[in-house]
Amino acid sequence: MPEFMASLSGVTAAYDGTPALGGISLDLPDNRIVAFCGPNGSGKSTALRVMRGLHKVESGEIAVAGRALADWSPKELARQVAMLSQSPQAPSDLTVEDLVMMGRFAHRGRFSGPSAEDVAACGTALRITEMTELKHRSIAQLSGGQLQRAWVAMTLAQNAPRIFLDEPTNHLDVAHAFELLDLIRHLNRAENRSFVIVLHDLNMAMRYADHVVLFKQGEVAASGPTQDVLTEDAVSSVFGISCRILPLEGLERPVIVSWGKNKA
Amino acid sequence: MTPAVPSAVRLAPVLGLLVLATIAAIGIGSSFMPPERVVSALMGQGVRMDEVIVWKLRLPRVILAVLAGAALALAGALLQRVVRNPMASPSVLGISDGAAVGILLFLWLFSDEGNNLTVSVHWQPLAAILGASIFGGLVMLLALADRGGNRSLKIILYGIALAALAKAVVTLLIILGPVYRASQALTWLTGSVGAAHWDDVLTMALGLAIAAPFLASQRLVLRQLVLDPESAATTGVPLERAQFILLATAVALTALATAHVGAIGFVGLVAPHIARVVHGQFRSFYLLSTALTGSLIVLSADLLARTIAPPLELPTGALTALVGAPLFLYLLIKGRRYHA
Repeated sequence: MPEFMASLSGVTAAYDGTPALGGISLDLPDNRIVAFCGPNGSGKSTALRVMRGLHKVESGEIAVAGRALADWSPKELARQVAMLSQSPQAPSDLTVEDLVMMGRFAHRGRFSGPSAEDVAACGTALRITEMTELKHRSIAQLSGGQLQRAWVAMTLAQNAPRIFLDEPTNHLDVAHAFELLDLIRHLNRAENRSFVIVLHDLNMAMRYADHVVLFKQGEVAASGPTQDVLTEDAVSSVFGISCRILPLEGLERPVIVSWGKNKA
Repeated sequence: MTPAVPSAVRLAPVLGLLVLATIAAIGIGSSFMPPERVVSALMGQGVRMDEVIVWKLRLPRVILAVLAGAALALAGALLQRVVRNPMASPSVLGISDGAAVGILLFLWLFSDEGNNLTVSVHWQPLAAILGASIFGGLVMLLALADRGGNRSLKIILYGIALAALAKAVVTLLIILGPVYRASQALTWLTGSVGAAHWDDVLTMALGLAIAAPFLASQRLVLRQLVLDPESAATTGVPLERAQFILLATAVALTALATAHVGAIGFVGLVAPHIARVVHGQFRSFYLLSTALTGSLIVLSADLLARTIAPPLELPTGALTALVGAPLFLYLLIKGRRYHA
């Protein structure tokens, strides 16, 4: 088991010449839930995408699961790291069941049908995302939240020990968002799976993450254990807002309360 | 996930129609032959005259239509998956017309005053592949260089532009080229399986025999390509390599068919679409269903082309375009039904 789930050193990346990452270096601990937080356009999604080889870096080095990114074959990497991107797309006539089976691509034989293992992995993924009853529906017939859960099921069916999620709570109401994060925590604690999650909601990060990376303008503003990183000073300076971090009775972690621009 | 047996059963209607169309296509011609005589001639139990007509004259034409239809339909299905757009097909992306340019240049460069080729006609498919690759490659390069959004629509637009360019080149070549080639080229261009020989059948069959096992091995990759590129990549698809190989296969299949039966358009557009409706694009044997549908379309079009206005033979490609062009318009108006 490698010490780090992913290591970046001096990574720069750009979109059509517009810089997105300005030479970041990061070591992400394995077997943890890591949250990427920061304002829009601060580079958190880009960091996730370069870590999965979806976006080419301009310079710098990336290692994932103990091996340089370039040394992984696409299938081998898919068995190590699953990822759900921000706005995935599939044809509307695809059924949930068929979509989830697509998560098994890296495991399936070239000429044979789905193996017992493939079927079992899909069954489990559908069950834990509560999509079993909807599995025969086409994805056009799903609500936004159900669709998001179908994609999460597809990602989980890949059975990778490391999972990257880019804003997985998008389209989910607050109850389903908590359910998803509880599921992630369960998979982390019970099956030792590692997660990197781009999260907009700082309170979600505070509650569920073991490790937080704060991004600001393509740089890493802070990286470390959640409560060391999410401080009043750090949140205020990164987001340009005023906030207080308060303990609540009965909760293990404090909550972040924020209000407008720097007025107390 | 869909069980294999029902999917195989779904092939029955198109397979049945194909058998009927084959018997009809062999029977109908300048001398009509009823089905029972066709069958006995095919089994080698008919009268000698029937056997000559069936085996020497009509069967090569029928089999060539079946094989070329399958190749064009498969090329269309591959392109639609690679480009992620149901409007993609060899004729829309300029690949068919590119092949036509290659063949006309070949005819122009390598024929003498006596209307004879100075090199073997077997080089003709190679010229078609070259022309198809150049035009198909140009479309992809232009789309790749274009940084604006919606790449799959861009590929269609660049394809339409380059197809128009290729058509212009073809027209110029016909007008400026040797006169004795012009009428021959015209017949061939609109697509016709009239001049079929067993030689052509053999080359086509060989090409499909190579492509079929390869495509069977790529069926999961092809299915995975319906996802957006990032999702496909994260599930383990070697995206760029897969797209390149499948595109090259589509170009080769198109060129092979075009070299033998001319530019029969819109089969690659229509056949996968029919197979999607009749068979289902996520079931097993979708590609087989597409190929059989393509065979049925070209065979029926050829049969109609030579029976509508005898003794005239209409170009097969004109008939397929008559059905295909309205369908393309329909798809264009209806838009893409992708769900985020």
